Amino acid sequence: MDAISLIVRSIFVDNMIFAYFLGMCSFLAVSKNVKTALGLGVAVTFVLVLTLPINYMLENYVLKAGALQWLGEEYAGVDLSVFSLLVFIAIIASFVQLVEMVIERFSPSLYNSLGIFLPLIAVNCAILGGSLFMQQREFANVGLATAYGFGSGIGWLLAIVGMAAIREKLEYSHVPKPLKGLGITFIITALMAIGFMSFSGIDI
Amino acid sequence: MALSSKTKAVLLGPLNKNNPVIVQVLGICSALAVTSKLEPSIVMAIAVVLVTAFANVIISLLRKTIPNRIRIIVQLVVVAALVTIVSEVLKAFAYDVNKQLSVFVGLIVTNCILMGRLEAFALGNGPWPSFLDGIGNGLGYGWILVVVGFFRELLGSGTLLGHQVIPQALYDAGYENNGLMMLAPMAILLVACIIWVHRSKNKELQEETN
Amino acid sequence: MNRENSGYTIIYASVMVIVVALGLAFTHQVLNERQIANENTDKMQQILRSLNLDVSVAEAQPKYTELIKNAYLINDEGVKVEGTEGITPDDPAFSTELGDTQAKGLPVYEAEVDGSTKYIIPMSGTGLWGPIWGYLAIESDGSAIYGAEFGHAGETPGLGAEIVTTPFRNQFREKNLFRNDEFTSVAVVKPGQTNSRRDYVDGISGGTITSKGVDNMLLNSVGRYKNFLMNLHTANQ
Repeated sequence: MDAISLIVRSIFVDNMIFAYFLGMCSFLAVSKNVKTALGLGVAVTFVLVLTLPINYMLENYVLKAGALQWLGEEYAGVDLSVFSLLVFIAIIASFVQLVEMVIERFSPSLYNSLGIFLPLIAVNCAILGGSLFMQQREFANVGLATAYGFGSGIGWLLAIVGMAAIREKLEYSHVPKPLKGLGITFIITALMAIGFMSFSGIDI
Repeated sequence: MALSSKTKAVLLGPLNKNNPVIVQVLGICSALAVTSKLEPSIVMAIAVVLVTAFANVIISLLRKTIPNRIRIIVQLVVVAALVTIVSEVLKAFAYDVNKQLSVFVGLIVTNCILMGRLEAFALGNGPWPSFLDGIGNGLGYGWILVVVGFFRELLGSGTLLGHQVIPQALYDAGYENNGLMMLAPMAILLVACIIWVHRSKNKELQEETN
Repeated sequence: MNRENSGYTIIYASVMVIVVALGLAFTHQVLNERQIANENTDKMQQILRSLNLDVSVAEAQPKYTELIKNAYLINDEGVKVEGTEGITPDDPAFSTELGDTQAKGLPVYEAEVDGSTKYIIPMSGTGLWGPIWGYLAIESDGSAIYGAEFGHAGETPGLGAEIVTTPFRNQFREKNLFRNDEFTSVAVVKPGQTNSRRDYVDGISGGTITSKGVDNMLLNSVGRYKNFLMNLHTANQ
């Protein structure tokens, strides 16, 4: 039950894009048509779901102050949290590389449609953001951390697909010249974010 | 020290015509959520300038030795180390601001400006131009952040850096702080306004399609 | 030297990791002392805020030493644990975390404001996204609240995060933790609703789960001090 409400909350209330503006670079660059947007959204969700539990385990059994206690009492005072950023980004980068190789090996067609976006995911703020929020929010167990990763990913996917759909329709509208392209995309993002804020009062 | 016209372009270009945020569309991610007040915006801007400049220098010095296969990871490790140092320094000398910035200090790592400049500039240029390029891009990003932070704090809370600037007389006359400004979406709307003004002045930057 | 050689790549990566690790460990060592000092000052500021005093970083230490007369640990029966007195950051009361299962007791701070004694107790709980915490200053009758302070790690800005604001905190003043000699704590209700059995304050609209978290925190954390407060209550009636 906790996991389900966490997923719903991270999709709608604390949406990665509309509440924190994480992953904006690829959000703006790849939201020109629905199909590629969907592909990138799936890839981001996939990497979030895989890296969050791994980083959660590392955080709680290796990095956090006192986390090494399972090795024995003499390690209880060890605090490796200064390395957490380094470890998180290394895990994410190597995972993205791994996913890239696995997909290339087993499904060349999926690789071709996602290929260019996969390396981009390593520097997608939403992924590192997921790990950092996980660290800050101290989830009770690895299941909740995974659920959070899944919810954030789906929330991101929803946002980018919605944006792409609007931009496809926008072709036909008359936008002031200086606002064309980037400007209007920003304004739409802001309006969508304000729309999403109406979810914030819901009680799950 | 006199700057040649080329180094000047490297340093000053990103402040205007080649701005990382409003022209190259890089690095919007991490920082807009921290601009509800001016002070964290300034600290964030300084942090990004420092990290971009030094990451650029380090990668530029190492550029002839880095194995191509692990290039991205090497860059990320250098950046992550620098960001950790910045975050440790903030914890020691600006504890309050560090609390306000929370996870967004760590998110400098995935600021696309960093990776973008490392790939596009530092890998192909010497340390000194790379340093200037880093400073320029950091500042180009920073001024947007500071402008957004300025307007959000002024209109949202009537203060600047925590000092009341809108006189009490105005409140007595019926003026109210605009609570909407404190909400995250207004940051992005303000950036849209900056783009609007900027592209009205620089017609060559206007796009053809939506 | 061939840059794409596997051996070179591995050596390069290892050397880089070692250099970076040493650098970070060194920075951490150098700055650690200052960071801990900052954390302690921050904690003192929070404790002082529960006494409705908002002091700057520079004033925190002297003000804390001036107002806080004593601090110690108590056991579950509400009796002071021998040898735990002292208010400095190195003493057990200051360094004990509430959630610590191996702690020797629960921390209590005694402050003197305008000639009367206030008891300050720490609280900790969970909000919507993560930990929330706070300090509650209680009058010497063990029931009336003198002031409250709350903090959070990552509640939603504008909603749950509003628990740190002065209007929310001020609602707690003069509310009673006891009713008819029974520990009831103070309820946090949805704005507009009432609670006939307990004293109550309005929660944050839109921050329902965080408000509920504050309610639970008051019930559970303060509940652990029930015997201590009861002793005060019966002694001072």
